[in-house]
Amino acid sequence: MNGRVTLKIFFFFLLLIIIIFLVLLFGKKLNSPAKADPNDTVLYSTHGAKVRGLDPGDIGDVTSSIIASQMIECLYQYHYLKRPYQIIPCLAENMPTVSEDGLVYTIKIKKGVLFTDDKCFKDDKGRELKAGDFVFAWKRIADIKYISKNWWIFDNKITGLDEFRQYSKTCKTSADVDYNTPVEGLQTPDDWTLVIKLRRPWPQIVYMLAHLPTAPMAKEAVDYYRKDIINHPVGTGPYKLNRWHKGSYIEMVKNPTFRDEFYPSEGEANDATNGILADAGKKLPLTNRLVTVLIQEDPPQWFLFLQGKIDVSGIPKDNFSEAIDLRRQLTPEMRARNIKLLTFRDPSTYWFGFNMEDEVLGKNLPLRMALSCAVDRDKYVELFTNNRSEAAYGFIPPLMSCYNANIKNISQTSYNVQKARKLVKEAEQIYGSKLPRLVLSMPGTDIVFRQQGDFLKRCFSDAGLDVEMDYMDWPTFQNKIKTKSAQIFALGWVGDIPDAENFLQLFYSKNVSPGSNNFNYSNPEFDQIYEKAYVMSDGAERDALYKKAEEVVVKDCPAIFLTHGVAFILTHDWAMNIKPNAFAYGTSKYRRVDEAKKAAYKELLRKLK
Amino acid sequence: MIAYIIRRLLYTIPIIFGVLLVTFILFNVVSGDVSDQIAGKAASAETIKEIRAEYGWDKPLFLSWDSQFINHLKNCLTFQFGRSWSDRELIITKIAQGALPSLSLTVPMFIGEVAISISLALIVAFFRGTIIDIMSVFICVVLMSVPFLSFILFGQYFLAFKWGLFPVYFWPDLPLPQYVALPVLIGIIAGLGGNLRFYRTVMLDELRNDYVRTAFAKGLSSRSVLFRHVLKNAMIPIITQVILAIPFLFLGSLLLERFFGIPGLGYLMIDAIGARDFQVINAMTFIGAILFVVFNLITDICYSIVDPRVSFE
Repeated sequence: MNGRVTLKIFFFFLLLIIIIFLVLLFGKKLNSPAKADPNDTVLYSTHGAKVRGLDPGDIGDVTSSIIASQMIECLYQYHYLKRPYQIIPCLAENMPTVSEDGLVYTIKIKKGVLFTDDKCFKDDKGRELKAGDFVFAWKRIADIKYISKNWWIFDNKITGLDEFRQYSKTCKTSADVDYNTPVEGLQTPDDWTLVIKLRRPWPQIVYMLAHLPTAPMAKEAVDYYRKDIINHPVGTGPYKLNRWHKGSYIEMVKNPTFRDEFYPSEGEANDATNGILADAGKKLPLTNRLVTVLIQEDPPQWFLFLQGKIDVSGIPKDNFSEAIDLRRQLTPEMRARNIKLLTFRDPSTYWFGFNMEDEVLGKNLPLRMALSCAVDRDKYVELFTNNRSEAAYGFIPPLMSCYNANIKNISQTSYNVQKARKLVKEAEQIYGSKLPRLVLSMPGTDIVFRQQGDFLKRCFSDAGLDVEMDYMDWPTFQNKIKTKSAQIFALGWVGDIPDAENFLQLFYSKNVSPGSNNFNYSNPEFDQIYEKAYVMSDGAERDALYKKAEEVVVKDCPAIFLTHGVAFILTHDWAMNIKPNAFAYGTSKYRRVDEAKKAAYKELLRKLK
Repeated sequence: MIAYIIRRLLYTIPIIFGVLLVTFILFNVVSGDVSDQIAGKAASAETIKEIRAEYGWDKPLFLSWDSQFINHLKNCLTFQFGRSWSDRELIITKIAQGALPSLSLTVPMFIGEVAISISLALIVAFFRGTIIDIMSVFICVVLMSVPFLSFILFGQYFLAFKWGLFPVYFWPDLPLPQYVALPVLIGIIAGLGGNLRFYRTVMLDELRNDYVRTAFAKGLSSRSVLFRHVLKNAMIPIITQVILAIPFLFLGSLLLERFFGIPGLGYLMIDAIGARDFQVINAMTFIGAILFVVFNLITDICYSIVDPRVSFE
């Protein structure tokens, strides 16, 4: 080969290598932290799902709710520190005045609360919040042309609102719906008073008034942004939207017109010793900016947390042993980084539900019990959740006040292969021949679902049961459930409010598929208890009814109740005032960053290297 | 040539119609109804009915001037794809916003990959049969055998997390070249094996031709033989490979965008598949098909430029 040509090619490659090297250097230089404003405090967090939209009326997913709750407020909120969970006023002046029959709620709105400055308002200045903004927001959810996911909140609850929904059906387009049409159950005697008239007592309304979809909406914002309101949250909250790179990053900054709200001065007994009351009485929010990085894959999220670029993180399954040892404590490596571990029970229950309308399962209690007795829950918890859950035998999670600690004995469905085999024989007698193959629908196709499937198949086969796994994507699975065509299905429920009614309604016969009762369970005794408890206020009597209702259900065994979730959270030591809350989303206003400790971590990282 | 281009453009009409028909049948007939999914967890039948009316799914599929298929044709041909049902955002806005991040990742990756592969292919073709050639084939096979995800995990762990040479993830305060540098590097290395083997084969095929021996026999320099004759004659397969890869640049890189948080079209596509957002998938498929047809035409025109033997008749 000609020497000159070889030389040219050599130089070409040399040039390429130099370019790559420069890129590397360039990368290294820019990777060092940019010059920061010393007075700027920033909280960095991460979520594993994308933000689908910030219009509270149509919000239906957790990530969007968490982001929107930093900017949009409701009438009520959860006390940040007190447990059991307690509702306190937010945009309301005080707790509602309730009529003796429990049908009329009168709520005073705080005066002087401003919507955040936005170009939808006159002179770009946010106007004062009025009671009519709640009426507008709720009529909007009722308006069928708006197609809100959240109509279930108000369905058949407020006098006249269902009639407004019927009226909206008669309109040709969304623009034809007249929001001045009066609704008897939503009155505003003055700009700061809201009167709600109910069709029947609904004590859970207070929790719903702390639920993001019931937040007020400024009509100006809806008219100005129309369908693009999903990208332009206009609220009264402590933060406002600054930057949003769809799918990967969202930044909020302090709302300069936020009303006076202060850090709580009371909490649980050990809050003072844990330093969580150190900021008592300080004006909220305590941090200037909130940055949320949206990461759907575990490795980058874990790397960013260890690099100190994210303040708080969950623990990816594959990194669990790196963070937590066999005694459920932090590993020495995590302790060396001054990382803290927080654990708390979340309001969740997961199960393998039975379709009670299925010919084979629905009429065969011994078969359902055999399936339940065949599943080794403790092994499942160890294998598939890194022990981040507790075995379940009922549907009410342990953090609820009405949790029945004896539910395991009542259900009589603990793991017992011998018992399961006996029950299978009984089931065969009822069925009249050998049991047919059953099908368990799994809402995923990845390796973890298949491992779970193998585990379950072995459990069932040990008990003499033939169960086939059917793996599918989530939408197909959902469709199967809604059309009652799944025989056994893997599903669960995470409570929206700290009231077990939220779980009980999953078994109410009027809610069968496509409603929330995916089991298609129907028991008049349960329905009677549910209807009685539904209209009762919080208290021991209602708790006793909830327990009774759960007993009725577990004895009918409409599901293999599997686990209740336990959340593990890691925080860096500079993230202050972190107290997990299973129901509240807008809690970033209480959190603070200790910049000195954060700077020390950078030094620590250098030493660890 | 103009007549040829017009003729080819006319051919695209049935192709585009076929694409639209297939996507319509796949997303509207075979895959079933997603209205209950849009309606949320406790939706009533009336809400589902309203959703079907909003998206026009209550209309007949084919046999009407106002059928779903005719509307599908109209919407696609006017690029009015409507709103994504998963987040109610305008699909055309989503695509416009995702195009730049995707192109900023795929264009440098593509240029780097082509430049390095062709240059290395020339070298190994010249050194054919020697240890350099054997080693290059071995390395190519190794690179081709390693799953793409392994390159991503390895690069993210060592180059970004352990050694801190690059950012681990998208960070908007950083300039664009920096956060795409690592995914570009990973993309180039991961694609090098297959490309190098392809171009090496192309070069070897040319080097074995009689005209190369004749050129050397006439005393032409290696430079002249390589760059004036071999490279030019190898251009047809290279052009085919390169130009037909361009439409895919607009569609982004699914895995790289997801692992590095680049808010591009690959990310958009994978999200839409996960959410069963057929409107978005349909829009991306349609745009992909248009680009593919257009670049096919460009490829054919380029053939005539590099090889006068190719005729448009």
